[in-house]
Amino acid sequence: MSEGAALLAGLTGRIGQVLGRVEELGVAAESAARAARAGCRELRRADFTVLRPLAADLLREQAGLVAGTGVVLAPDVAADAPRCIEWWWADAAARISRLRVDTDPGSAGCYDYTTTEWYREPERTGRAAVAGPYVDFICTREYTFTLAVPVHDAGRFLGVAGADILAGQIERLMLPGLAGLGRVAVLVSGRGRVIASNSASIRPGTVLRGPHRPPGLVPVAGLGGLLPWTLLSAS
Amino acid sequence: MPRSALATVRSRSVFAPLDPGGRAGTVARRLAQAITLGLLLDGECLPAEAELAGQFGVSPVTLREALAMLRDMGLVETRRGRQGGSFIRAPDQAQAGYLEPQLRLLSLHELQDIGDHRAAVAGAAARLASQRALDGDMHTLREHVARLRGAATLTERRRADARIHIEIAAAAQSPRLTRQEMDLWSEVGDLVWLPVTGNLVATVTAEHEALVDAIGQGDPDRARWLAEQHVLAETQRLIQRRLRMDQP
Repeated sequence: MSEGAALLAGLTGRIGQVLGRVEELGVAAESAARAARAGCRELRRADFTVLRPLAADLLREQAGLVAGTGVVLAPDVAADAPRCIEWWWADAAARISRLRVDTDPGSAGCYDYTTTEWYREPERTGRAAVAGPYVDFICTREYTFTLAVPVHDAGRFLGVAGADILAGQIERLMLPGLAGLGRVAVLVSGRGRVIASNSASIRPGTVLRGPHRPPGLVPVAGLGGLLPWTLLSAS
Repeated sequence: MPRSALATVRSRSVFAPLDPGGRAGTVARRLAQAITLGLLLDGECLPAEAELAGQFGVSPVTLREALAMLRDMGLVETRRGRQGGSFIRAPDQAQAGYLEPQLRLLSLHELQDIGDHRAAVAGAAARLASQRALDGDMHTLREHVARLRGAATLTERRRADARIHIEIAAAAQSPRLTRQEMDLWSEVGDLVWLPVTGNLVATVTAEHEALVDAIGQGDPDRARWLAEQHVLAETQRLIQRRLRMDQP
């Protein structure tokens, strides 16, 4: 395995841990929905409060990497909340709070999450996705990745379970390895956005694509599937 | 600058009164912003007066004065009795009836200052977005421009407009500029569409379309210029409207 591939493998391992926990959260949400269906009850927001301990465990275990986690339901899945977000985050003192977002479609401050990449991708593909990096102006208010898995019940898309991963933390994980490569190396997202770079002239958040791609940078290692990210390096 | 002059300028800015408009007005404005942004939700009960006064660091008398202003704006309802207290009344529609008193709380210089701040943030965000937006970001932006075009009420316009500016800052990949846009929109966002009526609606909508087009074309100078001009025109309209309020 090349150095670059080894670096990416380490990163995949860390994200894989988060994915495992988010999948557990998704399974718990699916059983909550199944239980309601078996009891011929409407699904309600309160059915998902059972996820809180799992979310708290995830936040504790992945403290520093995961900034928030929970489930976001498709419109009108919960009978008492047309737009329902059950999402928790930990503050600096590790206290767990539930995110309060105005999701009332009739109000001026309403947050419509159904147009976001992290919601649309799992809905469209039926598979886990990592969206970002993007500026999350609802929950973390930081530069963020959101890992999301679809939640289904009886073939119906109920929403997503997910976790917010701070982009700065991914950069911190990658930087020592990138710096150790001894040549210019840049990790870019599937869309060409710089995630981490060991060169001061190629900065996170900028786009390396087409005319903006510095000559001499070539892909040296890539990840498929969940993380379609590529490591570019001077050849 | 002579030393004494510098000292005067410095003492004017450092030791100026914290809230020349009156503390009750400041408290009322802060709470009104929280309500319009949806941070305080309709029906929510405010903490007890003594507690709230302590949180704001004002006297109970000042707080009661602020609550009275909010009651006049129709944003707070006070009920007596065991289940009593002050409750939030979030307006469904951003109506002129409650926006006018909000605008009255701001001086012309404050409106100018807010406009300058907004132009700086919106201009910088537009320039960076034109260099950093990906197809997905442009898709989102165009969706919100389409929402603005289809908006039928003041509330819908304000919501789409705020979202366009916040999404531009997000497309600039800057959490800081995004937070600034959000703070600015929570402060004055409701007012922006107040003086926009008749043919102006189409003009302001077209300004947004042109701005988003410039970002999509990757033209940083034009994007910045359009964003600044757009905010300047808005500021001008708000100042005109505010001036009219004091005319006999």
